[in-house]
Amino acid sequence: MPKIEKQTLLSPELLARLERLELVSRKVFRGRMKGERRSKRKGQSVEFADFRNYVAGDDLRLIDWNLYARLDQLFLKLFLEEEDLHFFALIDVSESMNFGDPTKLLVAKQLAAALGYIGMCRADRVSVTALGPHGRRAPVLRGRSSLWKMLDYLDSVKPGDSGNNVSLHDGVKDFSLRTAGTGVAVLISDLMDKSGYESALRMLIGRRMDVFVMHVLSPEEIDPPLRGDRKLIDIEDGDEAEITINAFVLEKYRETVKQFIGTAKQFCNRRSIVYIPVRTDTPVETIVTKYLRERGVVR
Amino acid sequence: MNWISTLLPWQWAVLGLVPIGIILLYFLKLRREPVQVPSTYLWSKTIEDLHVNSLLQRLRRSLLLFLQLLAVAIAAIALLRPGVRGESSGQERTVFLLDSSASMRATDIDDGKSRFEIAKKLIAQEIDQMSDDQSAMLITFSDRSNTVQSFTSDRRRLRDALDKIEVTNFPTDILGALKAADGLANPRRTSEVGNMNDVQVAGAMPADLKIYSDGGFQPVTEFSLGNLVPTYVSIGSKTPKNLAITAFSADRNLETPGEVQAFATVANLGSQPIEATATLMMDGQFMDASSVSLEPGDQTGLSFAIESDEAVELSLQLDVDDDLEADNVAFAGLAPLRNVNVLVVTEGNTPLELGLQTSQSSKICTSEFVSPDYLQTDGYASRAESGTDDLMIFDRCAPDNMPATNTFFIGSLPKPNATLASTDTPVNDQWSWATEDSGVVLIDVDRTHPMMRYLELFSLLIFQGRAINAPAGSTELIGADVGPMLVLAPRDGFQDMVLGFPIIRTDQDGNFGTNTNWYAERSWPVFLLNVLRYLAGAAEASGSPSYQPGQTVQVRLENTVTDAVLVRSNEKNDAASTRLTPGPNGTIDIVNTGDPGNYQIKSGGRLADSFAINLFDPSESTLAVAPDIELGYEAVASTTGKVESRQEYWRLLLIAMLGVLATEWWVYSRRVG
Repeated sequence: MPKIEKQTLLSPELLARLERLELVSRKVFRGRMKGERRSKRKGQSVEFADFRNYVAGDDLRLIDWNLYARLDQLFLKLFLEEEDLHFFALIDVSESMNFGDPTKLLVAKQLAAALGYIGMCRADRVSVTALGPHGRRAPVLRGRSSLWKMLDYLDSVKPGDSGNNVSLHDGVKDFSLRTAGTGVAVLISDLMDKSGYESALRMLIGRRMDVFVMHVLSPEEIDPPLRGDRKLIDIEDGDEAEITINAFVLEKYRETVKQFIGTAKQFCNRRSIVYIPVRTDTPVETIVTKYLRERGVVR
Repeated sequence: MNWISTLLPWQWAVLGLVPIGIILLYFLKLRREPVQVPSTYLWSKTIEDLHVNSLLQRLRRSLLLFLQLLAVAIAAIALLRPGVRGESSGQERTVFLLDSSASMRATDIDDGKSRFEIAKKLIAQEIDQMSDDQSAMLITFSDRSNTVQSFTSDRRRLRDALDKIEVTNFPTDILGALKAADGLANPRRTSEVGNMNDVQVAGAMPADLKIYSDGGFQPVTEFSLGNLVPTYVSIGSKTPKNLAITAFSADRNLETPGEVQAFATVANLGSQPIEATATLMMDGQFMDASSVSLEPGDQTGLSFAIESDEAVELSLQLDVDDDLEADNVAFAGLAPLRNVNVLVVTEGNTPLELGLQTSQSSKICTSEFVSPDYLQTDGYASRAESGTDDLMIFDRCAPDNMPATNTFFIGSLPKPNATLASTDTPVNDQWSWATEDSGVVLIDVDRTHPMMRYLELFSLLIFQGRAINAPAGSTELIGADVGPMLVLAPRDGFQDMVLGFPIIRTDQDGNFGTNTNWYAERSWPVFLLNVLRYLAGAAEASGSPSYQPGQTVQVRLENTVTDAVLVRSNEKNDAASTRLTPGPNGTIDIVNTGDPGNYQIKSGGRLADSFAINLFDPSESTLAVAPDIELGYEAVASTTGKVESRQEYWRLLLIAMLGVLATEWWVYSRRVG
């Protein structure tokens, strides 16, 4: 596996371009801290939101005295609150991600780092998390200066470590149990889980997250350069499949891949999950600045 | 459709192991190369889909195995040589008679192949299409027959035997071959044919008799085909081109011994006019040449005169490109004149003495004169038995026992052999006088006989003579008014000549007188010289005899010769020598005379004898193929030998196998590539 250097994850040029972007949430969440995003919470921004009757205990500073003068009733003037956004980047670090050139994991890390950096620049609460045991020590980051922390963490995430091969379901469940808040969750995975990816996605939706799925596939998976009599060994579970690969079987495989992608896309669309297919041979810069923009993940 | 197995059982067993090996290798090959993939998730989904049509998939997986096994199966079928026989022959037994005579060397058909090679090819085709229950026999014939392979159903042995046969330079005689073929087909009866109670010794086994020949032999009459069903496959064209030397000899002119005269007869035995040059070579050196232009059927004589005192080897070659090469060259040899020993038994005969001592005669003759008393001695008995003399002349006397040599009786008759006289020998098989003494007038001389050459005898005066009754087979050389006067008759390989009148006569008073004036004629010494040359054998010693190829040549060497070498030289100058060991009385039988050429027998560097082998057979040189042949008064018309050729399918099968292999390769490369 190629050694992941911090520098290779995000180039300075890319960082410069990322600074101009902003994560988009289709939902409005309640943040934890003051941020740059409109919150459900009424608060202290400059933007007027509503009036409400005074009840005992309200901050007297919020009473609209002009109305009291006119109507002789106490009303509170409510303003929209601007809070931070919770951004979760979930990286599938199962062994199957360690495939291709560059590996799917590297691309996934780059994407996570890029999105995380965008969030950090906008004072969002960013959590770049590997699914599985690595996720427990994932730092919650805020502010541009935390970039190196994020990169350090990503660097420490290696496939093949013991216990990393958790299924998508278990990984997401573990994440959900640990994480209380809601926000934008980007799942970066190849979705190749024999037990299925559907339960994991449902779980995220159940958490009322704004879910994005970045489906990372390498060209070798989409069009495998294999011929002849082969014994295929699953990297993750060592499962073996003996197969004679000829044009007919390849054609069948391509159909299966197409169907797999189609099913995932359909599943996501039905549940308002944004599905973004990613080929590892596409530069991260292009993905972030072009595809993600087109799909409304960033702006 | 029938099958001919081309492999032996053990070879089939080896072939049977091949598909087993392929299947084993196929399973070994299925040790698939392991490849790591991120997940077998999609692959197993793919395979699940494929399992729906698993039969098709299994077939696809085993397609290579199937194609390989198919290729082996097609190869095995091809090795079984399936074919359809054009026409099945009637009998289970076939006798192939192959003409290997000199005329089969002719290359008159096409593409430069000889008739013999074409005949062999036709027989090979016949052998190839024999089925296992058929058997065949292979006989070649020239002037002798040779059973090359007796009845067998083993085609391999027949083919091997066929491959070994070679064409000869011999003339043709088919009778021996027919008798060899006859054996099983027509078994002889135990006794006479007419006896109805008689049973045959063995059951007759009918057979097809296939004769591959050009028909250049005499009709066979002393033969009955019986159960043989003859087919005559004629080989050769009807319009050949052939110029042949049918005779060639050389002799010394006795009057000038250094002069050698060579005579040749050249005949056009083909059907086209030919012009050619005849070249005479002596010891490999060009001597003379003569042009020949002949219409079909014509022949001409050529004569050459050259000078040589020594023993020479002559060859005459026709520079012509015709269909038969073997008769375009002829050989003749000349030995240096040799001395002959003559024993003369006489009471006294001066003309004879003078005649044998002329300068010409004394060159070739050593004569010894003895009186008739000598005939009673042991010396004569041993001399007569050993045959050391080349000629014995009995002047008015006769020995009791005839000597083992040629004799010349003057005025007397050979006595009947003691053993013969006691039996019932017919009178006409013995010498006797036909008339009493009377005056004789000669009326007929056989000038064609060499003994009478150069003689003018009609001026002779003969006072008393008697006509001769000679044994059967005799030749009358001089006829007189009273009957035969000089007769030559054969006796056990020797020749006796009897002159009906004496030269010297003893009257009642015991006085000698002449009976004829022949001694005063010029013809007398010439006659004696002819006697020395032809009866005593001096001429034999000068001109080498010519024999046909394959003949056994008997030569007689002087008793002192114990070790000799036979040297053959021909127009190609590829001399070959063989060591010879003479028999007890100096005779050697030389059998390896198959190749034309000059043969010299040398002893210690000295030429002891020589002879030539030449084809000289107009019937072999006449190449036009006979439209039919006659066997035992049954005419057999010719057929071409190609009707029964077998329709073979192994080539098609081989192409199919190549196609299967190509498909297999294509499938393989599509899978792997």
